[in-house]
Amino acid sequence: MVSTILFSAFAVLAVAGAAGLVLLRHPMNGAMSFIMTLIALAGLFALLSAKLIFAIQLIVYAGAIMSLILFIIMFLNIGEKDLPDESNRWFYFGGGAVVIAPLAIFLLKVVNKLPSCEATIVGDSFGSVKGVGMVLFTEWLLPFEIVSILLLVALVGAVVLAGKREGKL
Amino acid sequence: MIANYLSLSVILFCFGLLGVISRRNVFTVFMSIELMLNAANLAFVALSRLHENMDGHVLALMVMAVAAAEAALALAVVILLHKHKGNLDTNVFSLLRG
Amino acid sequence: MEHTVSYLVLIPLLPLLGALLMGLMYLVSCKGKAFPEKIYGIIACIGPALTFILALKVYFGLKGLPEDSRYLVQDVFTWIKVGDLDISMGFFADPLSSLMLLFVTLIGTLIHVYSVGYMAKDENFGKFFAYLNLFLGSMLILVLGSSPVVMFVGWEGVGLCSYLLISYYSTETNNVIAGNKAFIVNRIGDLGFVLGMSLLFWAIGSGGFDYMSLRANAEQIGPGVGLAICLLLFVGATGKSAQIPLYVWLPDAMAGPTPVSALIHAATMVTAGVYMVARFSFIYAEVPAAGTVVAWIGILTALLAAIFGCFQRDIKKILAYSTVSQLGYMFAGVGVAAYSAGIFHVFTHAFFKALLFLGAGSVIYALHHEQDIWRMGGLKNKMPITYWTMLIGCLALAGCPPFSGFFSKDEILFMALASGHGGVWLVGVLVAAMTAFYTFRMFFVVFHGKPRDEHAYEHAHESPKVMTVPLIVLAVGACFAGYLNIPSIFGGHLGVSHWLAPSLTEHHPHVSVWLEVLAVATSIAAFGCGIFFAWKKFYVATAEEPFYTGLANFAYNKFMVDELYHYLLVVPYKLLGTAISKSIEPFVTDGPVKVVVWLYGALANAFKVVQVGYVRVYAIYMVIGLSVLSIFISRSLNL
Repeated sequence: MVSTILFSAFAVLAVAGAAGLVLLRHPMNGAMSFIMTLIALAGLFALLSAKLIFAIQLIVYAGAIMSLILFIIMFLNIGEKDLPDESNRWFYFGGGAVVIAPLAIFLLKVVNKLPSCEATIVGDSFGSVKGVGMVLFTEWLLPFEIVSILLLVALVGAVVLAGKREGKL
Repeated sequence: MIANYLSLSVILFCFGLLGVISRRNVFTVFMSIELMLNAANLAFVALSRLHENMDGHVLALMVMAVAAAEAALALAVVILLHKHKGNLDTNVFSLLRG
Repeated sequence: MEHTVSYLVLIPLLPLLGALLMGLMYLVSCKGKAFPEKIYGIIACIGPALTFILALKVYFGLKGLPEDSRYLVQDVFTWIKVGDLDISMGFFADPLSSLMLLFVTLIGTLIHVYSVGYMAKDENFGKFFAYLNLFLGSMLILVLGSSPVVMFVGWEGVGLCSYLLISYYSTETNNVIAGNKAFIVNRIGDLGFVLGMSLLFWAIGSGGFDYMSLRANAEQIGPGVGLAICLLLFVGATGKSAQIPLYVWLPDAMAGPTPVSALIHAATMVTAGVYMVARFSFIYAEVPAAGTVVAWIGILTALLAAIFGCFQRDIKKILAYSTVSQLGYMFAGVGVAAYSAGIFHVFTHAFFKALLFLGAGSVIYALHHEQDIWRMGGLKNKMPITYWTMLIGCLALAGCPPFSGFFSKDEILFMALASGHGGVWLVGVLVAAMTAFYTFRMFFVVFHGKPRDEHAYEHAHESPKVMTVPLIVLAVGACFAGYLNIPSIFGGHLGVSHWLAPSLTEHHPHVSVWLEVLAVATSIAAFGCGIFFAWKKFYVATAEEPFYTGLANFAYNKFMVDELYHYLLVVPYKLLGTAISKSIEPFVTDGPVKVVVWLYGALANAFKVVQVGYVRVYAIYMVIGLSVLSIFISRSLNL
């Protein structure tokens, strides 16, 4: 019962945040509402007994990545004049909704055909640091290492790109 | 019950898609992509819970790592583009025009 | 019945390897410094010499076998296997091919040696010998092929080499045109050959397509189909062996170097048609009508070429027309079902005609590439070896009794008479007289009389040993080759005919001795007449070229056959081509293509509209696609 109420609350927050991200004109406002979505998602992860993911969602996503984005937005010092002219965005929203609707309906139909289970909290090691770590470092060791290389490459790439002198693009 | 989580995931994903195709601000587009990744993460974790198997969690971790890498690169590109064009409008970047 | 051996494949392979090696050497060195001629000369002569030794081995191998099982075979690999058609790349030696093998390799070797001298200091020395070896290899495939298809490989190979060597001096347009002419005319003949071969396969190919199976099944061919096969194959033979109506290429082929004329256009390749008819004697024997056609075309070719030969002034063209004429004799021989006589004439002709060409080459070489007999004269004293060997060659060609040409030609004429082809015999005797006439016309004008070109005469000299030794060897052959097949009237026992008997399907008619005496007597009389007229007219010191008028002028111009072909066939063909390229091609052929091109252009312009260049719009397209896909899937899954 409690979990149902919590789920509803988080779901509403997440959808509201997502809608805010898409609809608000200024990226700063959008980013703030997106953070709301991320935090609501962290709550949902917790409801799903994914303790480690819950923590990482808060720390890495809502913490690190979003602060990076906000930092860049503020670094570029975006004012009203920098924003693109989006006076016809309502037309695009309408058209986009029409186009996406069949896909959304299809996906919703599919997920509702799946078998269900009670979303009770599963105790002990499920989703804990130790449990996920065991799986990660035994069965998923190679992908994990590859991801580390990916991060290194992204790091080097970002330095090279952003460090470029002007006029060399 | 899991179906609710998955439905939420689908809704968030579609919001992200809508943001990508109907907005012109690079930051919003970028964050919409992040939203889609998060929707996918939610689906992973929910299905992981359904099967009581932690592979989904690992995948969610991977997605976050990829999202972090993507964020680093994408923001570098955004800075570069802003330097050159002085603008955040995706319509300015139309080099693909036939 | 047949014996499998492992050395047959080496016979064509050795010259082909030599050709490959020398070709590569030439290609490697053609930009920089060329390899010394000595290396090329040694490589070029080793292959043919070894094949001659192998040919002897084949001969003695066959001789050691009982008469009815003289077949050596070697299957190298399965070449084509489609349905009924099962053709192996196989080689096959029987008495017929062993005889061909012996003289092809012997004369080939001699001509290679001779060429080392003749072609000295030529800038494309290596290329010449690569071609020459390639030719020899192809010729040996032709001779040894175990089925018509393998034979055809050699058949085309020798045609190619002929083309390459005719236009060997490719800086002159006329030589290239002559090469093209030879190639194109041969194509017409080859079409006949291919059609004949296909028809043969259609008729009896299901029982195996090698000669032995074909021979075993030959009786199943119906008379109509048999006639068609024989005539189509003969069309192929007229192309390769220069018979009416396709003989026009051979005189022009003299544009090539003289050793090539000797080897390819006199001794070996042009006899391939005769060999082929003899090889298919089992079919020709079933269809006498086809034989009659072959005999008449052959003897008429002989007559026509002899007429032309009497009026030519280029020494090589005279010899070329005499070759056409002698080939006509050979076809007359195989046409009257005297296959062994025809093949025997091939054999002796190879010796004396190679000799004559090499002798002519020696004269041309001595006179610095002068080929007009009316600018020669009195060379008897300057070039004694060439003089005497040429005399032997001329006597053999003219059919003087003790020499080889007499026996083989006489055998053909006698067989024509004996088998009831009186007309063929009569024309043949006439041609024999003309042969003696034009041969000695050339001989007297070149070697006797007083020099007509003092400057060239002063510088004339005997050729080097590398050229005269082959001449002497061939002269010995031209003298004595006839003794291999002495008819019974002279106390002989027709050795070659008996040797060839297992390969051929022929019947020796029994006729009275008096008929044979008549044939011999008329032949000798014809020879006597011919040489007498030549002596009377040209054995005078001051003999000058007569001025031709009327019919003689017409003959001097070769009856305008080339011009006739040009205006009757080439010009209309070209006009047709022009008409097609001007009227049909732009609209019928190119039209649809251009419309399609324009259509694609229009389509591309139409679709260019969607290529707006904004990534966002492309994402919209993708989402539209996804939506359509999801609608489709939901409907098909009934969700």
